[in-house]
Amino acid sequence: MKALFTICLFFLVNLTLAQTTIKGIVKDNKGETIPGVNIFLKGTYEGTSSEVDGSYELATDETGKFILVFQAMGFKSQEFEIDLNGSAQTFNPILKETINEMTAVTITAGAMEASDEKKAVVLRPIDIVTVPSAMGDIIGAFQTLPGTANVGNDGRLFVRGGDASETSIFIDGMKVGNAFGTTASNVPTRTRFNPNLFKGSFFSTGGYSAEYGHALSSALALNTVDMPMRNQGDISVMSVGLGYSQTLVGEKNSLTATANYMDLSPYQAMVTQNFDWERAPYGFDAEVSLRQKWGNSGMVKAYAHTESGGMKIWQKIPGSEGRGQLVDLKNHYTFTSGSFKQIGENDWSYYGGISYSNNVDEFTLDQIAIRNQNQVVHAKAVALKGFSDKFSLKTGLESYLFSYEEGLKSENLVRDFDDLQANIFTEADYYVSNKLIFRGGLRAGHSTLADQTWLDPRFSLAYKFENEGQLSLAAGQFSQMPVEELRIAKPEVQNTIANHLILNYFLTKNGRTIRAEAFYKDYKKILTYEGTQYFYRNIQQNGSGYAQGFDVFYRDQKTVKNTDFWVTYSFVDSRRKFAQFTEMVQPGFAPRHNASIVIKHFVSGLKSQLGGSFAINDGYTYTDPNFAGQMNAKTKGFRDLSLSWSYLPKPNLIIHFACSNVLGRDNIFGYQFSPKPNESGKYESLPIRQTAPRFIFLGIFLTLSKDKTANNLNNL
Amino acid sequence: MKKHTLIIALMMFVATFANATNEAYEKAMMKEIQALGKAGPVSELQKSANAFARIAEMNAGEWLPDYYAAVAFANMGMRAQGGLEEKDGYLAQAKKHIEKANALSPNNSEIVAVQGFITMGELAADPNSRGQSLSGLAMQTFGKAIELNRQNPRAIILMAQMEYGMAQFFGQGPEKACGLVEASLGLFAKEAAEANEGNLNPSWGKGMAEEMKERTCK
Repeated sequence: MKALFTICLFFLVNLTLAQTTIKGIVKDNKGETIPGVNIFLKGTYEGTSSEVDGSYELATDETGKFILVFQAMGFKSQEFEIDLNGSAQTFNPILKETINEMTAVTITAGAMEASDEKKAVVLRPIDIVTVPSAMGDIIGAFQTLPGTANVGNDGRLFVRGGDASETSIFIDGMKVGNAFGTTASNVPTRTRFNPNLFKGSFFSTGGYSAEYGHALSSALALNTVDMPMRNQGDISVMSVGLGYSQTLVGEKNSLTATANYMDLSPYQAMVTQNFDWERAPYGFDAEVSLRQKWGNSGMVKAYAHTESGGMKIWQKIPGSEGRGQLVDLKNHYTFTSGSFKQIGENDWSYYGGISYSNNVDEFTLDQIAIRNQNQVVHAKAVALKGFSDKFSLKTGLESYLFSYEEGLKSENLVRDFDDLQANIFTEADYYVSNKLIFRGGLRAGHSTLADQTWLDPRFSLAYKFENEGQLSLAAGQFSQMPVEELRIAKPEVQNTIANHLILNYFLTKNGRTIRAEAFYKDYKKILTYEGTQYFYRNIQQNGSGYAQGFDVFYRDQKTVKNTDFWVTYSFVDSRRKFAQFTEMVQPGFAPRHNASIVIKHFVSGLKSQLGGSFAINDGYTYTDPNFAGQMNAKTKGFRDLSLSWSYLPKPNLIIHFACSNVLGRDNIFGYQFSPKPNESGKYESLPIRQTAPRFIFLGIFLTLSKDKTANNLNNL
Repeated sequence: MKKHTLIIALMMFVATFANATNEAYEKAMMKEIQALGKAGPVSELQKSANAFARIAEMNAGEWLPDYYAAVAFANMGMRAQGGLEEKDGYLAQAKKHIEKANALSPNNSEIVAVQGFITMGELAADPNSRGQSLSGLAMQTFGKAIELNRQNPRAIILMAQMEYGMAQFFGQGPEKACGLVEASLGLFAKEAAEANEGNLNPSWGKGMAEEMKERTCK
């Protein structure tokens, strides 16, 4: 017993005997001191933090061998073996910075990101859907961003002198075939997808990653909501239709089912139209979205969208009397996709999926009945490995099946093609530091129909300045097969090729964003032909072209209270030899000067958000056969002022009113000419106009849920 | 006899040792909880956060050290004077710690309340662009915290702050928020009365309630 006591005493004495002091200053590799470093002896409670000047002092009663740890946010931890023996010791470690995904430089060339999570974003998802001129169409909002042109008789996305087919749209990484509704010529279309589905988007006007193929000019990647917040029902009553959406959320999964019915007849009966409608556009759509969490970090999503609709319209023929030609159009469309993402061990992560798009158009043009079917299957698997915080490698495999069939039902003529394409891509990211990143990628592909194999290199780098501004450079080659309507007439056609070179400056700070970009793009192997659809002749791949210019974007949420505005100016100098043209011309879809302003102002007293957007360009080129030359004339400039008013009387109720072209300007997008001159030798013309002087939208959106603060503001 | 003595001594030794580690833990926690209560500027909060991180490393099975480290980092995110990147950096650290705490003690009202508090910090860092997406999430998280424990005054006072912001946005009066402030003050008083000497459980937030009462509910 006595012995034990002695031993205990010995321990006690031993414990209090020697105190060791460790001190020093912690610096980074630039020689700056680091405050707030956590300094401690591993396996003990002994520890301290460095002061504002980086100095520290740790006094400990421990003795023996220990490990001294230095830990700080944004730096690699350092450990030292230390022998505590009562004599004072000094450690002046130099901590190396780690690459911090939150603050490190990002490549912003060509890219405009809308996200709630990431930095270097231009817009938030909510901003997109509240653009007054967008009228709830996600593409309408992108048309206020730099690099895009407003082509009012088409409605699709035209980027930097490229035509609409040069933009590829992806949902959760999977290709969407026929993302826009089918429409008659010169009747603008809309995207088929509700903006409410998406939590963010990545819109690139050039120089994008090797991950995106099959796009000459632009890639638009839309990401769906991961997990909705709560069970809720959303009712929408609009001047153009009705809709209901129900969301059910479980612990690890969720389901959203939506149905909408749209019919413009009652609206068109009340509001004057420029067009001669036999049957106003109508349609229904239904969609189901399922999400299942997979382990701690994985997610599996399934999505199905189906819709059916149609319209009948009389289209006047220049130089002829009467209502003209009756176009009867019916469209059936389905898009389904399944996708997954998972984070593995050892810094591996994986994602991929499969999608299927099926579009059937049935036209009757006078007595001719046409049926076209376009199917796209896309499968993709990507593995990403982080070898260190500085270096990561992404590798993916993709396959596409393009299947197209067109038939003249009345003549019993059918022709089709199938093209299987295999793609592989790899891309490496290397951070030299938090300020400098290099990215290099390669994309290879093979098409069975064209019997062509190709390789597209891509490269970009970005540097971040002290003031948080970033300069990025991107260059690369981009390949895309021509549109189906031409491939079916000449299946052996090869890829059209574009080369991009982009220089970008981006700064976002304190609620203000500046983005300026200059670009040069050249095109090779563009298709030229004679004749029109179904009757193309003499298809050759001898066209070429270029587009060059710059754009500027400024956004400010700070200067004026409760006000958010952005201003965009894009200059595009584009000429190309394409389609029926036998020389280089400025395409009708590429106005030189494009500008827009969007303003949103919240008025608390009115419980309202007021919005306005103004878009302007210098007009569209067209060929006037009464004069010599091609693309020898230009329309007057396009101008549109749109206003919107969102009223939130209760947190779960929104009343939204929007009106486009408030000033009633008669915008003209080009002219159609009679095929033959009249008696006095003149080709008669008809202007291509807007569908109506104005479009007025009134919607009431009600959200039903247990949580009274929920609303469907995202629907606007 | 000798054998027995040895066993008893050994047991005593083990017991003292276990007790000593527990005591060391409690002592360290008590000291740091007090320090956190007094910490004002970011530099002091950083020291506090570091200390809790150290204690967490020593006591891998306890949720409280990570919880307090998260509270300290969340407050840093709220009080930092620098830019968005700095604030988001602290809040990211807060999230890391609260997730660890949540894994150790799931469905804990206190932890869920701090998750909401961190979301509130992210919202406050950039209200213009995050307001619409995060205010709903913050309220939902506080709602969940209250559902898990209706007696949690921190969940209630944090919810009161969100309710007040919401009411201001919709031009409504502060009545509902003030009702919550009163309720939380009652619960804070009850909590103080019931707390034992050496209590390590969360007890912060009363000052927030008193200040809000003074400022908006007079």
